[in-house]
Amino acid sequence: MEKRLEEILSSYEGKSDELIPILQQVQSEFGYLPNEALIKIAKFTRVPESRAYAVVTFYAQFRLTPIGKKHIVVCRGTSCHVRGAPRILEQIEKHLGIKEGQTSADLEYSLETVACIGACGLSPCIMVNKKVEAKMTPKKIVKFFTKDE
Amino acid sequence: MISAFSELEYKAKQEWQALHSSSKPLILIGTATCGRSAGALETLETFQEELGKRGLDYSIIEVGCIGLCFAEPIVCIKKPQAPIVCYGNITPERARILIEEYLLKNNPLSEYALGTVGNGDIEGIPALLQTAIFKPQQRWVLRNCGFIDPANIRHYLANNGYRGFMKALGMSPDGIIEEIKISGLRGRGGAGFPTWKKWQFCRQANGNEKYIICNADEGDPGAFMNRSLLEGDPHSLLEGMLIAGYTIGAKLGYIYCRAEYPLALERLRIALKQAQEYGLLADNIFGSGFSFHIKIKEGAGAFVCGEETALIASIEGKRGMPRPRPPFPAISGLKEKPTIINNVETLACVAFILQNGANEFSECGNDDNKGTKTFALVGKVKYTGLIEVPLGIKLKQIIYEIGGGTFEGKQLKAIQTGGPSGGCIPHNLLDTPVDYDSLKGAGTIMGSGGMVVMDEDTCMVDFARYFLDFAQKESCGECVPCRLGTKQMLEILEDIAKGQAKPRDIDLLIELAEAVKASSLCGLGQTAPNPVLTTIRYFRDEYEAHVKHKMCPAAVCKEIISSPCQHVCPIDTEAPVYISLIANRRFQEAFNIILKDNPLPSVCARVCHHPCESKCQAGKWGDPIAIRALKRFATDYAFKKNAHPNTKPQRTNKEKVAIIGSGPAGLMAAYQLAHQGYAVTIFEALEVAGGALAVYIPEYRLPKHILNIDIENIKNAGVEIKTNTRVGKDLSFSELLSNHKAVFIATGAHKSRNLNIPGEDAEGVIEAMEFLSRLNRHKKVNLGKTVGVVGGGNAAVDAARAAARLKECRKVFIIYRRTRTEMPAFKEEVAALLKEGIEVKFLLTPTRILTQDKKIIGVECVKMQLGEIDESGRRSPVPIEGSQFVIDLDTLIVAIGEAVDVSFLGKEHSIETSKQGTVVVDPETMATNIKGVFAGGDVVTGPGTVIQAMSCGKTAAEMIDKYIRGESLVKEYKFTRPSIYIPPVELTEQEIEEAQRPELPNLTLDARMDSFAEVDLNMSEDMAVKEARRCLRCDLETAEGKRQLEQGFNKQDG
Repeated sequence: MEKRLEEILSSYEGKSDELIPILQQVQSEFGYLPNEALIKIAKFTRVPESRAYAVVTFYAQFRLTPIGKKHIVVCRGTSCHVRGAPRILEQIEKHLGIKEGQTSADLEYSLETVACIGACGLSPCIMVNKKVEAKMTPKKIVKFFTKDE
Repeated sequence: MISAFSELEYKAKQEWQALHSSSKPLILIGTATCGRSAGALETLETFQEELGKRGLDYSIIEVGCIGLCFAEPIVCIKKPQAPIVCYGNITPERARILIEEYLLKNNPLSEYALGTVGNGDIEGIPALLQTAIFKPQQRWVLRNCGFIDPANIRHYLANNGYRGFMKALGMSPDGIIEEIKISGLRGRGGAGFPTWKKWQFCRQANGNEKYIICNADEGDPGAFMNRSLLEGDPHSLLEGMLIAGYTIGAKLGYIYCRAEYPLALERLRIALKQAQEYGLLADNIFGSGFSFHIKIKEGAGAFVCGEETALIASIEGKRGMPRPRPPFPAISGLKEKPTIINNVETLACVAFILQNGANEFSECGNDDNKGTKTFALVGKVKYTGLIEVPLGIKLKQIIYEIGGGTFEGKQLKAIQTGGPSGGCIPHNLLDTPVDYDSLKGAGTIMGSGGMVVMDEDTCMVDFARYFLDFAQKESCGECVPCRLGTKQMLEILEDIAKGQAKPRDIDLLIELAEAVKASSLCGLGQTAPNPVLTTIRYFRDEYEAHVKHKMCPAAVCKEIISSPCQHVCPIDTEAPVYISLIANRRFQEAFNIILKDNPLPSVCARVCHHPCESKCQAGKWGDPIAIRALKRFATDYAFKKNAHPNTKPQRTNKEKVAIIGSGPAGLMAAYQLAHQGYAVTIFEALEVAGGALAVYIPEYRLPKHILNIDIENIKNAGVEIKTNTRVGKDLSFSELLSNHKAVFIATGAHKSRNLNIPGEDAEGVIEAMEFLSRLNRHKKVNLGKTVGVVGGGNAAVDAARAAARLKECRKVFIIYRRTRTEMPAFKEEVAALLKEGIEVKFLLTPTRILTQDKKIIGVECVKMQLGEIDESGRRSPVPIEGSQFVIDLDTLIVAIGEAVDVSFLGKEHSIETSKQGTVVVDPETMATNIKGVFAGGDVVTGPGTVIQAMSCGKTAAEMIDKYIRGESLVKEYKFTRPSIYIPPVELTEQEIEEAQRPELPNLTLDARMDSFAEVDLNMSEDMAVKEARRCLRCDLETAEGKRQLEQGFNKQDG
């Protein structure tokens, strides 16, 4: 982890306004922000750890815990909402046995919701590991998760 | 400088020409985010594979989207000497067919085509821009999307790209500001501030270090206009930024794009690199002396960063928390330097304006609202997608012409604009023009372009709650009004949604909302209350239904409704209970549950219009559970087992109650009152009991021996029915009143409406009600050979289907003035009518009856066309001048509606009646203005349904009981809950996969038309159990239901 982190930091100058892009790149690499990485990044950008922590906890994108092998994002945008997203979320929670914001014990699955994916014309939508799946129905969810198992 | 650019442009144009006039076919595949989510990449692979296999020469380009989300994946094909043909829904399978048919043979497959673009026609395929969806649109900002390769700057250059910037370089910054001013461009991010003015402030601000920032955060849920533009035509943004940078004097621009748009970011990065390669983003661009560079910053998931000062903080690496303004960013922004923040679309408009001239842009729109606007039209509308329309277009046109209206059978309710900062516009204000000022007047805002359509299945309380939940999650927490105010508002809304609100909560909500609006630090808090305020303004009755009546009309709020089927049943039948009992093979118990609330179960099992099924949750994702047919299964089972109760309850009260009319309202009230121990007598004018059930609904829909079983049971409960007793003739109303403690008037609506055309009094012109009544009571009817029925409601369909079964009628048809979609008759009745070979002649209105010897020989009709959309969202029929023609026939049955006649009350009565002649009652108590006199059913509402009449009877019985016992007539409202929770059945994965509503059995066509035998047949036991197992058991989703599930159904809850 250390080596990879060093590599990422080497392409930056160490200015405080690089904090967010660095956090984004590190999270992209590791799937989340490990505590040790946070400390190093704060030092590198010359901001107090408290401020780095404040930024990380402010923005919805940042995660302090690992995600599962399959990370599922359910859209709770307006169009998805009126076309049945709450039920889709319920079905997924039921099927996986975890609630929004949690990762399964075996680290296979994690579940999160976002305000909008931006594929509103084909709502309701979910993303599985960054791939957008459109026009979801409860039946498709059953198919989805049995196919993957 | 100009020559360097001209050379680039020239080369690009050559390349573009070559591509489009090549002998190789050109295939454009839309692989923007929407396309990908619908499978466009698989389609792309298929093309590459198949064409490769056949060794064909071709060009494939991945393009952005043309905005027709509902038709993704979209593929456009350009063959030599032919226009571009756009195809929709091209799955890999269809791709193979397309290749085979169009690329190899010359069959353009018009059935897959959306339209053509460019010169030339193809038979059977309309020009895309002339189709109903595109005609009202004006695609300026989106002109390139879907047709150019967004990863190829030369495509942009070939289509006037960067010409605007080159022109700007030759103008003075003040000149450019003037041009923008003339164009009338207002900020497209939502606030609509005049762009030229903002630029001028910044240009005039002190300092040499200035910044231009493009806000591509697009945080509004339900909006994706900016994403599509970035994925489909990123250079138009870069050009806009270059022009802006030059005008205000900035050397560095930032694009702040949300991280949730990975494809847009990828395309932007490619575009940036290419612009740099071509010298458009450089120091001293083309020797002009102007240097400009662009950096990208990714948003990190905070809606508040769409607000200027929060966005700047985010770019500076801080928490995105806004600060007070002034100073405004134009004076002191990023790094405290003068900064302009413009939305993506605003900058794309700037590029267009400089390319084509301010005058062209300002040709669209009106007064203060010039140009076009893109919208993401989403929600409960047929054709969802990305559209661009001239400002000032009516909302009506967008929803119905472009969007295609709502789905079959669903009523439009409201349209949300402006996302979480906006408000809703109700369905009756669709004439509102879509522009900044008109929308503000209606209480909402233009916003960035999200337009969400809602129908009858959307609960406005839940909708407001949804937006407050969003605002709460996104509130940065800095100021008290937003942080605490939105939380309090959310809690009140959650109480309302759970049915736990107090009456004053609605006004408290308004008070809070206005305080939060007035005192929040930034736009998020200032606008978060808007959805609440507008939904209360336009849908206050819905809020009050939740608060006062424990009702959610859209059947959404779980803690109030339990299951939608039970909640919307006018008599509160416990559908989930009897369905789950059937699923568990406990048939007798299922029947008992039905009978508990419904004394006419066999009747309803055949003729109810099943509002339960229209709100069934399973119906949202497939077909609704066949709830009515399951009721039929249970009642037929009980009938076979002879399992009807026949105990007479003890008469505990001596009070006499009179009911006038033995229809569903009267029978229901009688049964309920008899169970309370009252001495109930029904006075029925005809020789048979049952009202419309006996005399109007034909035998093949409701066999009279079945009806009589239910009526016998009601009599056995202690109800006396005096047939052949007409109030107003055999006894007077005042007599009745003086001999009984209370009277319930339930006489229905029987007066046929006239056509009011010449010749109506001819022989052979019959009233539908008269015909059906005589037929059902086995009296002689006089029909001819050729029978026309005028009308589109249930009476018309009943009359037509009945006539078609009579031997003397050779030909039967219906004449109706609108189209099938507008027919008010039950959908399954119309389907059966058509199956039985009865033609419906749509869009005709009778104008004159032709006679010979006073007998009808024909009817002259005028053709109708559907005109303007009216308030109800339906097109009103308008006669076509001079299109009259004659239909030959010898019988005309008139079924255009029934009116109420209460002349039996006598001349001296003082009961209040309406202008239409119906009896006026308090809708919550069924009480008339005379103490002790109640009324309900069609006599109050005009023609209605069986179950609605029964509901009135049920309420009347409750109130009569209260009245007689001297209690005040106050209706009590409670939550919908089942009286018992039945354990759910477990379905296998395969069962879930295959679950489908069965085809309900019915008589074959041959067996039908010769007799009046019942057409709908009972399900088999296996079919019924299988269907019952498909129920989603919404009753187990309330907190109470979940507890029952956890506790193993041992305890009786609540």
